[in-house]
Amino acid sequence: MCEGGQALAEDTLPGEVIVAPVSDADDVLRVEHIAKSFGPVTALRDVSLHLKKGEVLGLLGDNGAGKSTLIKTICGFQKQDSGAMWLKGEPYEPRSVDHARSLGVDVVYQDLALIDELSVYQNMFLCREERVARLPFLDRRSMKKEARAALDEIGIHLPRLDVPVARLSGGQRQSIAVARGVYSDADILLLDEPLAAMGAKEGAMILELIARLKKEGKLSMIMILHNYVHVLESCDRVNMIVDGVITFDKPAAETSLEELTEIVVDEYRRARAAANAEEVAEAAEAAVLDPE
Amino acid sequence: MSGSDDESPVAASAGGPAHERRAPRTAVAPLTLIRQVLTTREGSIVVITVALTVYFSLSLSVFFTTSNFENLLPYFAPYAMLAAGEVFLMINGEIDLSIGGCYLFAPLMFYEFHGGGIPLIPCVILALIVCMGIGVFNGFVTAVLGVNSFITTLGTLFTLEGLTLIVSHAEQLEMPGAQVTTNSTGNHITSFASAFGAGTYSELFWALGIVLVMQVALTRTRWGLHTIAVGSNRIAAAEAGVKVRAVLIRNFVVCSTLAGFVGILEAVRSNSITPDPGAANSVLLDAIAAAVIGGTLLAGGSGTVVGAMIGALFLGVLQDGLAIKGVNADYLDFYLGVAILVAMLINRYVGRVRRRSGLG
Repeated sequence: MCEGGQALAEDTLPGEVIVAPVSDADDVLRVEHIAKSFGPVTALRDVSLHLKKGEVLGLLGDNGAGKSTLIKTICGFQKQDSGAMWLKGEPYEPRSVDHARSLGVDVVYQDLALIDELSVYQNMFLCREERVARLPFLDRRSMKKEARAALDEIGIHLPRLDVPVARLSGGQRQSIAVARGVYSDADILLLDEPLAAMGAKEGAMILELIARLKKEGKLSMIMILHNYVHVLESCDRVNMIVDGVITFDKPAAETSLEELTEIVVDEYRRARAAANAEEVAEAAEAAVLDPE
Repeated sequence: MSGSDDESPVAASAGGPAHERRAPRTAVAPLTLIRQVLTTREGSIVVITVALTVYFSLSLSVFFTTSNFENLLPYFAPYAMLAAGEVFLMINGEIDLSIGGCYLFAPLMFYEFHGGGIPLIPCVILALIVCMGIGVFNGFVTAVLGVNSFITTLGTLFTLEGLTLIVSHAEQLEMPGAQVTTNSTGNHITSFASAFGAGTYSELFWALGIVLVMQVALTRTRWGLHTIAVGSNRIAAAEAGVKVRAVLIRNFVVCSTLAGFVGILEAVRSNSITPDPGAANSVLLDAIAAAVIGGTLLAGGSGTVVGAMIGALFLGVLQDGLAIKGVNADYLDFYLGVAILVAMLINRYVGRVRRRSGLG
C-alpha cells in the first residue's frame, strides 16, 4: 500500500528521496505538500502524509526536522504557507485549535500545554469545560468525576484532583496531558512525544493505553517518538521526516530496528558531509578573497 | 507545616487505592483547620485587617460605632469595586492604569449626555458604553498590537485626564440628579442619587454585589478559568485553545466599565464632578494597592477579588483610624506606606508557608 514513493520537490538535496505516500479512499487525514516557514527558517518544505482510520502512525526525525511544526499545523495552532489538508474526504482548514477540536482533531503537545496554576481537573477540561445545565457556572463535580475516571483508566493515581498541576511530577503532568487528549472525543489524536519526562513505569502505562485504543480501532493517531523500540511496538506504520520533508514511509512490520538505525546513521553522515562541504566551500571562498 | 507535607499529592502518586495511602490526620485536625484558614490567599490579610480593627477599637472609643462605619465606607467601597476589575487584568499579567482616567471621564460624559436632554439612567448606560469603548481600545492595542499594557493604559490615562480638563474647562460641575433639597423635615436626595452612590449604604451594596459577581466569575466560570490560564502560561493557554486576545480585551472592557461606574457613583455621592487628575491618580494607585495587598500577584496567574476587597477594607480602616487618632496629615501617607509594606511582607511569608504546605 505504501511501497510506491515518488520524488516531489525539485530542490531535493543530493542523496535525498522524498516520499509521497499513496493515499486510499478510507484515509481519515491527508496532508498534501504542506510548507511552512518562520521568517528565514524553513520548518516544512514539502510534507505529504496520510492516516487511515484506527491507524497509529509513528513520526520519526531529528530535532528541528519539522515534526512539531507539522503537528501544530494539523492541530490548527498555526496555518501552513502552502499545501492542503483533507479530513475524512473534506477539505480541512482549521482556523484554531478549538475549531480543529470541534472537527475531531486533538493534540497532546510536547510542552504539554498545562497551566501550572490550574488544578488537575481544570487542566483536563480546559476549553471544553462542563457547565451546570445552561448556566455559565462550571460543573466542578462532574468534571472531577470524569477526570478521576479517565486517570484511573490509564492507571495514574492522584490522591487529589484539585491541587495545582505545578505540584506534580513530570510524569504525572505528562499523563494528565495524554489523558486530556485521549478522553476528548477526538477521532484523530496527535501526540508530540507523549513519553517525554516519564519514568519507565508511567511510560509503559501510556503505551498500554495506546495499544488498547489501537485495539478499539476508533481513534487514529500520529505519534512522535524517539525510542525506536516503542515505535515498532506501538505503531502500524512509520514515517521519517528529514529537513522538512518525509523521506521514509513503511509499515512497522516491514521495517526493523536495524533499518531505522541505519537510516538515521546515514542521515547523520549525509548531514556531516554537507556541513564539511560547506566548510570547504567557505574556506575556498575565504582563500579567494584573501590569497595571503 | 510538617503535617501537611504528608498530604502532598506527589508523595502518594502511584499504586494502591487513595484511602490506604493517605497519611493519618487525627490529632492535628483542629490545627490543620486553623492553618488552612490562615493560609488561604485571603487569610493573612483578613487577620491583619482584624488585628488593625481591634487595635483602633481598643484605643479609640468612637472607632467601632455605626457612624464611624459610615464614615469609613467612602474610604473602602470605591476601591473594592475598582480593584475587582483590576484583579482580573493583574491575573492576566497586565495592568490598567487608565481606570483613573475612566473614573474621571465617565461622570463628565454623564453630565454631557444629560445636558443633551437624555434621562439619568440612559446617561449612566451611555457613559459606561464610552468606558467599554476605552476598554476595547486598551485591549486591542495591548493584545493585538502588542504594546505593553503599562504603556498603553498610561497613554489612555493621560489622554482621558487631559480630555476631562479640556471638556470641563477645568471647572468643577454639579452632578445632574444628585442635588440635595432641604425642607422642614431635613435634607432629601432623589431616588436616583440614593441608588447611585449618595444613599448611606448605596456604595457598600454596589461593592458587595460587584465583588460577589466578580469572585464567582473568577472561580466558577469559564471566563475566570481562562483568565487564570492566560496569566499563568499564555502559550500553553493558546495551545489548549483559549482565545487569549478575546480574554484580554474582555478584561480590559470590564475594568474600564467598573472604573467609569465608580466615577459616576462618587460624583453622585459628592454631588460634584471635580476634574482633578491628581485625585484620580491617587484613587488609581489605592485600587492597585488594595489588589496587591489582597494577595493578587502583579506577575499574573493568581489573585482573588474577595482578597482585594479586604485589601481595600484594610486601607479604609487604616486611613480612617489614623484620621480619628488625629495623626498629622503630613504623616498619613508615611504611615500608610509603611503599613502597606508590612502587610505585604506578612502576606509574602504566609504565602510561602501555604505553598510549602501544599495548599495551593
